[in-house]
Amino acid sequence: MSGEEGVKFPLSEAFSFSLESIKRRFGRALVTMASIVLGISFLTFLLTTGRIVSVLYGEGSGVAVQFYQLWMAVIALLICSVGIVNSMLMSVTERYKEIGTMKCLGAMNTHVLEIFLIEALLLGLIGGGIGAVAGWTIATVWQAFTQASPINIFMVSASLWTEFNVTNPLLLLANPLIAIALSVIIALLAALAPAYIAAKLSPTEALRYEV
Amino acid sequence: MALRYEYAVETEDLAKYYVMGPVTVRALDGVSVKIRRSEYLSIMGPSGSGKTTFFNMVGGLDRPTRGKVFIDEVDIASLDAYELAWLRAKKIGYIFQTFNLIPVLTALENVTLPMVFTGVEREERLRRAREMLTRVGLGERLDHKPGELSGGQQQRVAIARALVNDPVIVLADEPTGNLDLHTGLEIINLLKTLNTEKKVTIINATHDLKMIDVSDRIFWLRDGKIERIETRAEVAVKEVE
Repeated sequence: MSGEEGVKFPLSEAFSFSLESIKRRFGRALVTMASIVLGISFLTFLLTTGRIVSVLYGEGSGVAVQFYQLWMAVIALLICSVGIVNSMLMSVTERYKEIGTMKCLGAMNTHVLEIFLIEALLLGLIGGGIGAVAGWTIATVWQAFTQASPINIFMVSASLWTEFNVTNPLLLLANPLIAIALSVIIALLAALAPAYIAAKLSPTEALRYEV
Repeated sequence: MALRYEYAVETEDLAKYYVMGPVTVRALDGVSVKIRRSEYLSIMGPSGSGKTTFFNMVGGLDRPTRGKVFIDEVDIASLDAYELAWLRAKKIGYIFQTFNLIPVLTALENVTLPMVFTGVEREERLRRAREMLTRVGLGERLDHKPGELSGGQQQRVAIARALVNDPVIVLADEPTGNLDLHTGLEIINLLKTLNTEKKVTIINATHDLKMIDVSDRIFWLRDGKIERIETRAEVAVKEVE
C-alpha cells in the first residue's frame, strides 16, 4: 500500500466530533455532568468551609476534625465516581450500533476510544468547572453571611485558588483547580472501561446489538 | 489506463461455522464464487440461508472459519487492522436493512463521514456530499436528521453515504427489507442507475423478488451453499415456461 492510502482521523476531527456529539445529545450529557457537578461541588463546598472555619478559629480546631473532613471528601468523591461510571456506561452502551456503523465507514478501535475519551474529558472539565465554582461560591457566601467580617472571609476563600500546598493534603484538595483536575481524572477513568469494551467490538457484534 | 482486475470479488471455499453449545451451525459452507466488475448481483435465499453471513465475510466485517475472500485480488485475511479499515472506508460501501445512519448527524454530515476517514478536505467533503445527495434526489433535505426523514429517504442517504467515496463494491443487506413495495422499487431502480452510471459492483443480499428484474446474475443460496447461479435471461425464460 502506498503512503497516502490509509484511514485518517486527526485529533481535531475527533475533537469536533466529540463536541458535536455532546451538544446534540445535551440531555444525556447533562445527566452525566450532573453527577460530576454534584460530587465536585460537594467536595469543594466542604473543603472551602473547612478552610474558612480553621482560619477564623485558628488551625487548632483539631486533628480529629481535619481527619473527619478528609473522610467526608473521599466519600463525596467515591459517590461522584459511581454516578459517573454508571452514566458513562449507559451512554456508551446506547451507542453500540453507532460504533458498528462508524467501524463500517473506516473507524479503527483507537478512533472509537479517542471519541469517547475526549467526550469524557470535556464533560469532566465542564462539570468539574461548574461544580468547583458552585461549591466554592456557596461556601463563601454562606460563611460571609453567617460569620463576622465578610471581607476577611472572602479574602481567605479567594486565596484558596492560588494555594498549592503539597504538604497538607486537606489544603491542597481545597484548591478548586485541584478539584477540577480530579474531576477530569475521574471522568476519564470512568469512561475508560466502557469505551475500551466498545472499541474492541467487531462491527458485526456492534451492529447486532439492540438496547 | 490503470490496471483493472476482471473480478471485483472472489471467494474460495468460504465457510463460517457458529458453535452453539453442542450444535455447530454451518451458516456458510464452502462458497466459491467470482463476481465481475460493475456487475449487479443478487444473492437470494430464504432467511437463515447465509446471505447476511456472506455479506459480513465479503465486507471484511467478520472473519471466516475457512476459505478466502479476495477483493481486487487482495486476500483480505492478509490485511492488518489499518489496511482493513482503509478497505472498509474506501473500497466498500455498505447499505443495511435498518439504514444505520448516525441519528445525531444531519443527512449531509452522515454522507461526509466516510470522507473524514479517507482524509478528504472539509470543503471538498461538503461539496461531494451535496452533489451525491442531490444525485439520489435529496438535494432539498441536506440539513434534516434521520428521524425527520421517511424510510425511503433514509435509505437514499445511506446509498449516498455508501457511494460517496467511489468504492469498488457496494454491499447491500436487504436494502428494501424495511420499505413498502413502491419505495422498495424506487430504491432498487436507484441502485441500478448508479450501478450503470458509476460502473460500481453492487451485491445485494435479499429475498425481494423485485430485484431479479435488474440483476445481471442471481446466486441462489440454501443452507449455506450455492444452490444455483442464474443470469437474468435464464430466470426470465423460466417465468415464461
